[in-house]
Amino acid sequence: MKSINRFIYKDPKQVGLNAVFGNRNFGWKYELLGLLGFVCLWVIVSSFIFTRPEFAHFKGFLPGPTFKALWASAQESKFWISVFASLKRILIGIFLAGFMGVPIGILVGFYPKLRSLSYSPIQFVRMISPLSWMPIALLLFASFESAVYFLIVMATICPIILNTTIGVLNINPQWIKMALNQGASNVQLIKTIVIPASFPYMLTSLRLALGVAWIVLVPAEFLGVSSGLGYLINDARDTMEYDKLMAMIIAIGILGFALDRIIQRLQHAFSWSWNE
Amino acid sequence: MGDPIRSNMRRQFLKTAAAACTSLLIPGNVGAFAKKETLRLGYLPITDATPLLVAHGLGYFSEEGLAVERPVMVRSWKILTESFLADKFNLTHMLFPIPIWMRFKQKIPVKVLAWDHTNGSAITVKGDSDIYNFKDLAGKQIAVPSWYSMHNLILQMGIRSQGLKPVIKPQSARLAKDEVNLFILSPPDMPPALLGNKIDGYIVADPFNALAENKFNARIMRFTGDIWKNHPCCVIVANENFINKNTILMQKAMNAIVRAQDWCMNNPKETAYLLSRDGEGYLPFSKNILSKVFETPKKDQVLHPQWNVARIGFQPFPFPSATRFIIDQMRQTLVEGDTRFLEKLDTLKAADDLVENTFVIKALDKIGGMNRFCNCNMSQPYTRQEVIEIN
Repeated sequence: MKSINRFIYKDPKQVGLNAVFGNRNFGWKYELLGLLGFVCLWVIVSSFIFTRPEFAHFKGFLPGPTFKALWASAQESKFWISVFASLKRILIGIFLAGFMGVPIGILVGFYPKLRSLSYSPIQFVRMISPLSWMPIALLLFASFESAVYFLIVMATICPIILNTTIGVLNINPQWIKMALNQGASNVQLIKTIVIPASFPYMLTSLRLALGVAWIVLVPAEFLGVSSGLGYLINDARDTMEYDKLMAMIIAIGILGFALDRIIQRLQHAFSWSWNE
Repeated sequence: MGDPIRSNMRRQFLKTAAAACTSLLIPGNVGAFAKKETLRLGYLPITDATPLLVAHGLGYFSEEGLAVERPVMVRSWKILTESFLADKFNLTHMLFPIPIWMRFKQKIPVKVLAWDHTNGSAITVKGDSDIYNFKDLAGKQIAVPSWYSMHNLILQMGIRSQGLKPVIKPQSARLAKDEVNLFILSPPDMPPALLGNKIDGYIVADPFNALAENKFNARIMRFTGDIWKNHPCCVIVANENFINKNTILMQKAMNAIVRAQDWCMNNPKETAYLLSRDGEGYLPFSKNILSKVFETPKKDQVLHPQWNVARIGFQPFPFPSATRFIIDQMRQTLVEGDTRFLEKLDTLKAADDLVENTFVIKALDKIGGMNRFCNCNMSQPYTRQEVIEIN
């Protein structure tokens, strides 16, 4: 197996975040193998733990009941309404976060002074669990739905800003020098070099945000909404139906994977960076 | 009380200003202030919410001519109170000690309008547990849903009656022989925690007792209604300013709620079905689990069969004797946080100040008086003797 150190010189794309969140496809064979290995791990670990008699009531965590519950859920309209509701919340939340975070990230990356200024507030906000904003969300926003969007935005905006900034900082300095030599203004620089060159990083930031958004969704759906996969997980916990809980976890996994893959395809279509 | 109220108005103003600003930001909300006031109900997924949900489910609110939205479920007392403060809900149910804490400590102008239900909670232990009485709780870990809850209050009454001492300690701390350790756990986490032996028992509202009975043969150590006969648990609350501005709406809402309580009392099976996910789906539980809550407890589950109390009962009138008793008990109840506000409280005045009973009295008159709900002494229907017996 090749180690990263030897690999790095042949394929500079393998550096940093791009090694995982780049546009590179790992090949379906590896992906399938990884998934199978993961499922095996679940089967082995859960059948060691949850088949013990004292855990008889937690049998729902086993793969058998889980997939049965997932199949049963897929027949219900309530499940599909929830899938739609959760997807909508995730997409709107990330869109709003991207709408604000990407421009901030570009400016912060472009102007060193702004970078120094914004460093402390971003590091400060980044560490706060978005759920601590819940009372503020309830107070400020008219509907529960918009409060959920707010929580998702609060969770995802920092990774978007940071990764966009990294993208701007990673632009080949030669390009900037060349443009400056030819008398480019700041606006021209941003428009013709900075934005296109950091675009792959923006997409990467969205992929990172996606994972965070799903994390916040489940507790955010504690609020007064009447559908959603997080809502169904809460329902399953209330009624101790752990097979349903696991089924929803699998559903979230599948949806998350699919969304990530869509952005990855986009990345592929827009892949231009200095290491290409 | 002059100062706090004024600062309250200021807070109210800030809140309105904040709401107005956000409404500019969020399209679609701009017209909200001009509209006729609609009833916005909030609830938790417990049977305590029953009268509100049934009044909505049977269309009683609409029959009174009220504009009403489908009640909104949230998952914790914190979110319910926060949403109530943020004016997401204008009528909701709350555990009796919560409005006491809100009004007298936080100076939030909240009023108790009626009792939502009576009894409806229990102390649950594992089926094979050796806990049968309060004295068996010595050295045990017991979970309560909230410090300001009837559950905490009644549990500690029981613990103290046996000469034991309620304490709040880390779970790993050593307990003395006469100590009972209490801590907070959210209701849905209680049954699995009991099953996983993380706690020795819990006290909470149904259906989390019925759920544990049903899922893993947990045993009810004691129904709270078997300790304090027909005690209040959740009450119906609204903001005082809202009440004063919308007296007609409040009266109509109360009529619908009292009518719903009457219906629930006489149709327990139908109530369980209506609330369940098999019926209107207000609660995530199945009909089987909810039916257990609305059944009469078995004779061997109660110590006072002669009291003839329901597992969850319905009676709207807020007897002042009970309010006073609760305020007095709260002084002795161990909670985390600052409780000095209770020391300064004059029980009689506070009980008077907290409760607004004109609406519920009118609603009761409309439905045919107190004898719909109890075999009380009709010469003095609005007083009663609190019956408490701890064994």
